[in-house]
Amino acid sequence: MDLPENKEPKPRDPDRDTKYRERPGERDGHPARDNPHGDRDREKQRERKKDARDRDKERHKEKSREQDTEKSHSKGKDRGDKDRDRRARREEPRQTAAHHNLLGRQPLDRAECRMGAVSKVRTEEKERRDEDPERGDEERERRYRERKLQYGDSKDNPLKYWLYKEEGEKRHRKQKEPDRERKHGEKSSTRERREKYPKGKSNSFPDKEGEERHKEKRHKEGFHFDEERRQSDMDKKERLLREDLKKRESKSSEHRRRGASSRRDPTSSREGPCALWYAENLVRNNEKDKDSRGKEVEKEDFDSESAGGDEYTACFEDDFEDYEDDFEVCDGDDDGSDELGAREKIEELPLARKKEIQEVQKAINAENERVSELSCRLAQKQGPLEGERALKTGANSSPARTPVCGIFVDFATASHREKSRTQALKQKMRSTRLLRLLDLDFSFTFSLLDLPPVNEYDMYIRNFGKKNTKQAYVQYNEDAVDRDVQTEEIETRGVWTQHPAEGATVSGGSGSGELRDVATAPKVDTPRLSSFLRAACQVIAVLLEEDRVGPEPGWSPGTQDGTLPVSDRSSQLNASLPFLQNRTVLCLCASQGQSQTVVSVHGLPGAPFAPALDGRYVLCVWDIWQPSGPQKVLICESKVTCCCFSPFKAFLLFAGTVHGSVVVWDLREDSGIHRYVKLGDCFWTFRTATFSTDGILTSVNHCSPVQAVEPVSTPVYRKQSFVLSPFSTQEEMSGLSFHVASLDESGVLNVWVVVELPKADIAGSVSDLGLIPGGRVKLVHSAVVRLSDGLSHTRFEFWGAMQTLNVKFLPSDPSHFIVGTDVGLISHGTRQDLKVSPKLYKPQQPGMRPVKVNVIDFSPFGEPVFLAGCSDGSIRLHQLTSERPVLQWDGSTDGHAVIGLHWSLTRPAVFLAQDDTSCIYVWDLLGSDLGPVAKQLISPDRLVAMTVVGEAEKANGSFLALVLARASGRVDVQYLKRTWAAPVADELRKLQLLLREAL
Amino acid sequence: MTSSTPASFTTGTADGLPETEKNAGESENTYILRPIFQQRFRPSVVKECIHAVLKEELANAEYSPEEMPQLTKRLSETIKDKLKEMGFDRYKMVVQVVIGEQRGEGVFMAARCFWDADTDNYTCDVFMNDSLFCVVAAFGCFYY
Repeated sequence: MDLPENKEPKPRDPDRDTKYRERPGERDGHPARDNPHGDRDREKQRERKKDARDRDKERHKEKSREQDTEKSHSKGKDRGDKDRDRRARREEPRQTAAHHNLLGRQPLDRAECRMGAVSKVRTEEKERRDEDPERGDEERERRYRERKLQYGDSKDNPLKYWLYKEEGEKRHRKQKEPDRERKHGEKSSTRERREKYPKGKSNSFPDKEGEERHKEKRHKEGFHFDEERRQSDMDKKERLLREDLKKRESKSSEHRRRGASSRRDPTSSREGPCALWYAENLVRNNEKDKDSRGKEVEKEDFDSESAGGDEYTACFEDDFEDYEDDFEVCDGDDDGSDELGAREKIEELPLARKKEIQEVQKAINAENERVSELSCRLAQKQGPLEGERALKTGANSSPARTPVCGIFVDFATASHREKSRTQALKQKMRSTRLLRLLDLDFSFTFSLLDLPPVNEYDMYIRNFGKKNTKQAYVQYNEDAVDRDVQTEEIETRGVWTQHPAEGATVSGGSGSGELRDVATAPKVDTPRLSSFLRAACQVIAVLLEEDRVGPEPGWSPGTQDGTLPVSDRSSQLNASLPFLQNRTVLCLCASQGQSQTVVSVHGLPGAPFAPALDGRYVLCVWDIWQPSGPQKVLICESKVTCCCFSPFKAFLLFAGTVHGSVVVWDLREDSGIHRYVKLGDCFWTFRTATFSTDGILTSVNHCSPVQAVEPVSTPVYRKQSFVLSPFSTQEEMSGLSFHVASLDESGVLNVWVVVELPKADIAGSVSDLGLIPGGRVKLVHSAVVRLSDGLSHTRFEFWGAMQTLNVKFLPSDPSHFIVGTDVGLISHGTRQDLKVSPKLYKPQQPGMRPVKVNVIDFSPFGEPVFLAGCSDGSIRLHQLTSERPVLQWDGSTDGHAVIGLHWSLTRPAVFLAQDDTSCIYVWDLLGSDLGPVAKQLISPDRLVAMTVVGEAEKANGSFLALVLARASGRVDVQYLKRTWAAPVADELRKLQLLLREAL
Repeated sequence: MTSSTPASFTTGTADGLPETEKNAGESENTYILRPIFQQRFRPSVVKECIHAVLKEELANAEYSPEEMPQLTKRLSETIKDKLKEMGFDRYKMVVQVVIGEQRGEGVFMAARCFWDADTDNYTCDVFMNDSLFCVVAAFGCFYY
């Protein structure tokens, strides 16, 4: 068991070194460091306290110890020394106490001197005391250095701190060793040991070495290490010896323990009362002869020391030696190795957490203080004075002192502490061993609670209702208290529709039944439907009218007598309307596009009828299939001299007036923008002109009565629109793409562009003067051709102003036109003022004659021929390329002026003529090119105006009708006989042949 | 803003401290470096336990500064005892109870341990009512 120690003295030594060094550090928190004398003071005080109690006992001890030391010079010198040492300390106060009070500190030395011979022990003690301050300084330095070393290396591992602490504690224990060794000169292999060695030597050989020598040695300690080293060799030998002794001691002590005082066993109950302790002391004193006994005593001392806290004073270092002996026995090999390991660790210890250590020190000291206070209190019971002193010095009292008190007072606690100390020691060992096996680490930071601060509103809500406030209600509409709903939810439903309605679904909604609501409206082509309806209505109306006419033949007087001999049948347009009474027909005009549409222009009434209408001229648009009434009734302020329909489709009516204005009616207009007049039992809409050039465009407008209005369009002969065909492409194709030409008497030919406004402005337009509010069609002046210039500057200037009477445009080439004059000549011109040949078409009779060319008419079949009817009753057939007429019939009308001349619309070789004596002549050039094939006098109701309507393309339904206006105002339709109406095979070719022959 | 000082109390106990090394001459140690699996500190179980205790004890608790110190002590003892009964052999238990008043302030609590992560563990449970919050942290440290 001792072997390890012997084997490894050196490893242990450094430990001791450090421990030793550490020790003062622990103390230095207080007196040792700061005040070397403080130590002494405290010691003294403590000694003083103890004095009273110790005195008797100590004397016993002293004696026995002296005996001991002398007896066991070689064998038990350690024990003896220890005893002596301890005793010395106890004695010393006794001796010094008196001096101390009187002399203070300095006297100590004197006292020492005086007492020099009294007892070695005492002097030793004093030496020690003297030593203390010095040592304190030295040690402090050393310790400081060492700490630096130790902690400088590794500050990282906090574990080492604990190790360090543990080691520190161990060191505390072991520090006692060095102290002891100091006295015994044992185990001194290191410098410190050596330092103390002399002391130990001196202690161990008190007889031989005097006080003086001790002092010397102490002086030398710091400086003469060599010497010490030499001594260390001796020490080792001594130690060997001593350990032998120890063995023996332990045996005997154990024996003794069992025999004499089992109570003293550290593990068994040590809480015996003081009496026991005294008894033990007595016993021990008795036994002190034996060396082994010393150990026992030391143990006792140790107990008391531990009772006073972890105070490691020189006095009781002996005890630790003892303890360590025991310990060594227990631990065997481990101890040494552990210590070694621990020491290694110490050196690795993290950088001095000085603060922590200091704290530990403080804690220890604080505990010490507490204990000392406790002991003071106990001491007070014994002596109030001493207690007071103890209190005063309590703060400064070194931990070393209290145990002395505890020896007597706190035995029970002491034993307990001893137990816990061993326990702690074991645990420390455990921990050191375990820590080698384990790997401790820092956990990451656990968040135990993260309670964010509550914001103000949440706080309010949380506390709402807990306080004395109450929220009664919130109401938007505050005065409607009876309503407990704050806000009524608005019911909403999303629906949609789409215009134009393309696709299967035209409307839908996101409401209740989405899919159900999606109406699958049939795809309706509205314009197509409306046009179909328009046409269908027309047809139905015609049929209904025919039905009505049939059973009431009397309604139409012409059915009996009205039918002319040249016609198969006839019908009468109902011109007996109230507003047409007493109005004569000024002219008739048929539409080129729509063969059934005819307009009649009625003059001013002979007798006043209605003030609103009396001053106006009335135009009636008829459908010859619906003779019961006019389709539209138009009124005009000024006298209408001529009129025409728009080509292709008769929805526009143009008229020229005597005032030189050109007027346009848009027949599609809604009747709402026109005036309603209730006549009889039905309403009539009298449409005013949509656009009139009256008063505007004065620079270009006609200044004399308009003689003719003609539409100018792309070849009309190509294909006439079918009446009932609502899907006619021509409507879409041509639309309004035509011009209107108006010719006045003075030879000014104006060309107008018909413009349809995209949107009607019901409030009237500011810029478009002359346009009726809500109207959409207007005329824009395009060009003017002054025919009079071209005509007059030739050879007719002496005739004065020549009148132009009418104009016709070549159907195949609208840029060419011919103008009838009042001198029997027909002028040929183009809109572009190009040179044309011939310039004039002249009658066969040479020379100038005042013959008006009343009517001219181009063949509607594309043949470049035209007819001209003159006021002298001659009818000429001209080819466009020749100046002179192909044919000229001068006496066909017996000299009566021809006022009407119309090519048949169904037969290219047939034309109809009318003279001013109400005679109608039917010409069939294939039948006779010398005169008319038929002549019909219209009487007694004179004919005033005639026009021709007809349709060729109708399969075996082609008709040719004459619309005749009588002087009485009657208007009837005479359907010519089929012989003149139905075309003959190859008629056009035959006509051409005939014309070639005529040339 | 007044701050409520949480009352806390911590109890530690050495559970099943082995006395095996008592024998001085024994060279073999009895260290157990890892707990038996069944006896491992199981945070979930412990948490349940803590939760049960808190629910029972703090069901109708109101914060009052005078009572809280006792309450924390009692709670910690109770929980510690319960944990002891749960048979975490060789575990040292540390139970920390913190009770604070709920006044809207933010609170952040954190813990950090220096331990053997293989064997040691912890759990915590929070109980809150309108007037107080209670945080219990239980640490189990294995005693090798």
